[in-house]
Amino acid sequence: MTRPFILSAAIADPELAVPETAATYLNAADETGLDLLLFGEAGGRPFDAQVLVAWAAPRSQRVGLVATVPASNAHPFHVARALSAVDFLSAGRTGWSVIPEGAAEGTAEDMVGAARSLWDGWGSDTLILDKASGRYLDASKVKASNYEGPFFKVTGPVNAMRPLLGQPVLVLDDAAPIAIKDADIALVSEPTADAGATKSLLKVTLDTKVEDVAALFAEGKIEGVHMSLSDPLAELPKLAALFAELVAANPGGEGDLRARLGLPLASTASNQPDGAKIPEIA
Amino acid sequence: MMSNEIHLWAFLQGIGFYPTGWMHERARPEGVFSMDYYSYVAKLAEKGRFDAIVFGDQLQSRGAGGRTPERMAMPTLDPMTLLTAMAAVTDHVGLVATISTTFNTPEMLAERFGTMERITGGRAGWNIVTSVHPDTAGNFGLDEMPPKETRYSNAADVVDKACELWAAMDRAGPHLNQGRPVLVQAGQSPAGREFAARTAEAIFCPAPSIEAGIDFRNDMRSRISGVGRNPDGTRVMPGLSCVLGGTEEEAKANHKAIMDMASVELAIEYLSESLCCDLTSFDPNAKLPVEAILEKTLLPTADVGRMVTPAGEKGTSLRDFAMNFMLNPRGHNVFIGTPEQMADMMIEWRDAGACDGFTLQPSYMPGGLEDFVEGVIPILQQKGRYRTEYPGTTLRSTLGLPAYERAEA
Repeated sequence: MTRPFILSAAIADPELAVPETAATYLNAADETGLDLLLFGEAGGRPFDAQVLVAWAAPRSQRVGLVATVPASNAHPFHVARALSAVDFLSAGRTGWSVIPEGAAEGTAEDMVGAARSLWDGWGSDTLILDKASGRYLDASKVKASNYEGPFFKVTGPVNAMRPLLGQPVLVLDDAAPIAIKDADIALVSEPTADAGATKSLLKVTLDTKVEDVAALFAEGKIEGVHMSLSDPLAELPKLAALFAELVAANPGGEGDLRARLGLPLASTASNQPDGAKIPEIA
Repeated sequence: MMSNEIHLWAFLQGIGFYPTGWMHERARPEGVFSMDYYSYVAKLAEKGRFDAIVFGDQLQSRGAGGRTPERMAMPTLDPMTLLTAMAAVTDHVGLVATISTTFNTPEMLAERFGTMERITGGRAGWNIVTSVHPDTAGNFGLDEMPPKETRYSNAADVVDKACELWAAMDRAGPHLNQGRPVLVQAGQSPAGREFAARTAEAIFCPAPSIEAGIDFRNDMRSRISGVGRNPDGTRVMPGLSCVLGGTEEEAKANHKAIMDMASVELAIEYLSESLCCDLTSFDPNAKLPVEAILEKTLLPTADVGRMVTPAGEKGTSLRDFAMNFMLNPRGHNVFIGTPEQMADMMIEWRDAGACDGFTLQPSYMPGGLEDFVEGVIPILQQKGRYRTEYPGTTLRSTLGLPAYERAEA
């Protein structure tokens, strides 16, 4: 499996919701080769990130678009649908980071469970789209979720397709921890053996020593870095320059975000390994 | 702005107005899963100088009785996501998203729409719905839907609260160009019309004939005046579908081609969904099973009874009932003819006071929208009844609505 050095950053600037500014931030993210851009973060979420990643989908080419979703102000049925659509519009570049943001303990975990069950209600190969026979889909591949958690009870099936990624890349942040053990990415202040995710990214600043990061990456304790940006246009090129050698020496794969970053869907996270397939029409 | 200007919205749900639309040779059913398609369609709507693109919404999967249909185009991707992405590739066209007041808190709604309003530069509209489908309840932890009266009184509270939250967002900055999204409503019942009279700046409705349009618009204008609002501040935009052709004969042939794609299986799936009762296991050649329908449907039996009882008494077969139901859908005006005839019809409706404009529902996508933009729009423009350029950048300015008065803190 691919083992790229992953570059991630978060923007919590309210101006990210202003089109002219958002466009310059997205261009900078793509130009500097950023792998993941978090829209908002714990303690800084002055917008609805799910809306902004939709706008960003056609305004970016490469960067992974990660929506910070507050468990206190969202419902898994809406979240599952919104992120499914973003994943199609971005050709498989969607992520989400669920933070409690004041919700009762367990709500964020319940949100993850409910949304996953909705995405899993649609099989990868549900769509047929055969104009000649009139068969649009294979109904046996669509299942009601009947999810019942402590906070959310969702019958399903959701009226949104399983995403291209199967499920969007799930990001945990140790500044707002939630009890999920099979996420894709964990943002950590210190390397830890039980971060709860396939890969850990070390939180850094522009003063972080590259040698220390290189050593941790070589030991397999981290898979890249994450930085919270306060001045994105100034900091993004510096962040990229600081870690340029590590990135160049450890490139990502080809394909969608999971393929590029080496993040297969965890078998505990989904009832099937693949994302949606859209039949081609002659 | 011309005083008798025709307004146009594009209702672009799924792959067209007809359930058979996705099978048309000029339909792109795979397109609804790609940005290329939405980018093309959004730019086409903007080229056609439409006021806005509208997406409806459902908060339940299609089907009935737990059975997912195999022949209907689905799933329905999230409308606000699609519209916001379409805004990212356009500069003027408005974006109207349908969002339920029953299954969103004011805080969720205000944050989503406030963000959409900012990132679209003031082009957002909110089609306010209360959700009616019984299958929706289970997706939000409820055993059944709240009663209609509760849903409407709650909707009024949610709208008020959301407006307060937008005023606060506007003051905190970044600024909201329109102050808040344009408020749109589509209720038909007396409760729905009363709510629209108090709230709506644009109204979407069915009007199968010019007389029905005149009656509805007059009723709404009098209700709007009755609550102390200016009726000229609300646009009435009935639905309108069409099948065009170079000649009348060609248009009729094009319509027949859409009809001929219909199968009994598709028609019964469509009827099952509309009646909230799975009829796919019944013999299509037997009489319409009225008793079974009234026993199993999740909709109010009085409403369903009015739809099916006359056919049951006549002994109509399930096959014939379902085919007729699907091919004459949803009570909207369907125009079949040449672009010139269509433009004349639209002007006649507008001049008769049957509407302020239309909500176009292409019969299939994107071919139906292409035909309208290329064929009908230039004629309306030549006749001086339709804009050639947008007057501004916000949806409010495009609709010619008075500026929104910002509330004091």
